Amino acid sequence: MIARTPRTRRGLQAAGAFAAIAVLAGCATVPQNRRAHFADPMMELTPETLDGARQQKMYDSREGAAGGDGAPSGGGCGCQ
Amino acid sequence: MRAWYLPTLLGVALAVLAPSQSGRAEESGNPGPTAPPAGSTAAPPAAAALNEAEILGTPDEAIHVQSVTTRITGFDQFGNGYQAQGGPTPLSPGSERATILEPQAEIEATQGDRWRHSIHVPVDVVSMASTHAIDVMTTASKHVEAGAIDWAADYKMNAVTDATLLGGVHLENPFRSWHGGLAGKRAFADGDTVVSASVVEVFDWFDRFDIHGGRHGRTDRSNASGSVGLTQILTPTTLFNVNYGFTVQLGELGNTWNSVPLSNGQRGPEILPDERSRHAIVARVAQYLPWNGALHLYYRFYADDWGIVAHSIEGELLQRFSRALYLGAHYRYHTQTGAYFFTTLAPPDGSLRVADSDLAPFDAQTIGGKVVIDTPGVGPSVDGIRALHFEVGYDRYFRSNDLQINVVTCATGYRF
Repeated sequence: MIARTPRTRRGLQAAGAFAAIAVLAGCATVPQNRRAHFADPMMELTPETLDGARQQKMYDSREGAAGGDGAPSGGGCGCQ
Repeated sequence: MRAWYLPTLLGVALAVLAPSQSGRAEESGNPGPTAPPAGSTAAPPAAAALNEAEILGTPDEAIHVQSVTTRITGFDQFGNGYQAQGGPTPLSPGSERATILEPQAEIEATQGDRWRHSIHVPVDVVSMASTHAIDVMTTASKHVEAGAIDWAADYKMNAVTDATLLGGVHLENPFRSWHGGLAGKRAFADGDTVVSASVVEVFDWFDRFDIHGGRHGRTDRSNASGSVGLTQILTPTTLFNVNYGFTVQLGELGNTWNSVPLSNGQRGPEILPDERSRHAIVARVAQYLPWNGALHLYYRFYADDWGIVAHSIEGELLQRFSRALYLGAHYRYHTQTGAYFFTTLAPPDGSLRVADSDLAPFDAQTIGGKVVIDTPGVGPSVDGIRALHFEVGYDRYFRSNDLQINVVTCATGYRF
């Protein structure tokens, strides 16, 4: 079981607040003709595939707290 | 799982060899959407007699390559860790010096109106510069070439729902890994909201080495992962995403050759639990800025049952200078507690112990930047290339327990 430390509780509360904001904001729809800015590559929420892969590789293989994101993880050391 | 990607590889090969769509139509006698329907006379038929296929043309099920992207990244790593031997005494940390060259390639292709394939091939060339590192003693990674093939096939079920099949294999000298999975996403509220979910299973099979370099057969581990996510358009300039993921690992969770300094002056092997449950929550925001820029904010919370709790925050500022050129600068801060059995001096009994600096409590920072050039509208006259992408970037990673990495990366992309 994961220890429910104050840091753990604070993290979960922050994530819950983010999710609540997102769900409440979803009540108002942004029309298609006002979404032009989202077509700019600068507005991509996640990095391009190869850039994301090299970043994930760097952190997955060097930080014991990497992974757990639901993406494939594995490798040759105990931290993954 | 092998059967999944073999047809895809064959399909991509056929797509490369196949003539263009117009050429194929001519050769097959398919009149195409602009020619009169087969069997017609000079007079065009009444519009009511035309069916959908005659108006729009028959669906093309051949694979068409949409884009090819390549990236090469170099890692130059310095530092010391207690899991590595080679220090002045058995109790001293050893070198973690390494250089890694990582070329990658990705091909995206469509197949008909509904399928989109993505094949990602990363390769790692790892060289250990330290002549005393334990990896050199075991020869497990003195000089390693590792390769992988990841495949994703996305099927558009309808206008708002996508399902994706995932598969892949990773190969290196002492190590084999396979993964397969399923993902899906559905849009709501005219695309304002997208809900996604995925499940992935990874199976690793690798050689077991002792800390002196002796090989003792093989061992394995499995990883079951799942995630759910929500992406939301908050305003005409703001995007938000939150994602929860979990991973449950079973089996040999060490690399088997890492060592731990012991209180008797010797070194012993790591002793790890054979199960680990990991959870992560990620929140991202992308905000368009009125001066033609963008701000990205990222927060990640992580906790597992080995006692590690981590927080990561990252910010990236992007500024467009012209239609084709933009620059980016980013900063990341990561802090984590250590595993409850982490130690740099363990008693010589059989209790859980690990000295891996990656499982220690530490803070890490990354600072970097990139230059991106996108040239849309090159036009089909240049060998069918519609857009070019070029990127070069640099990252400096440094952390509180003696590890520093310089990362240089360069990418090129072609969209057809």
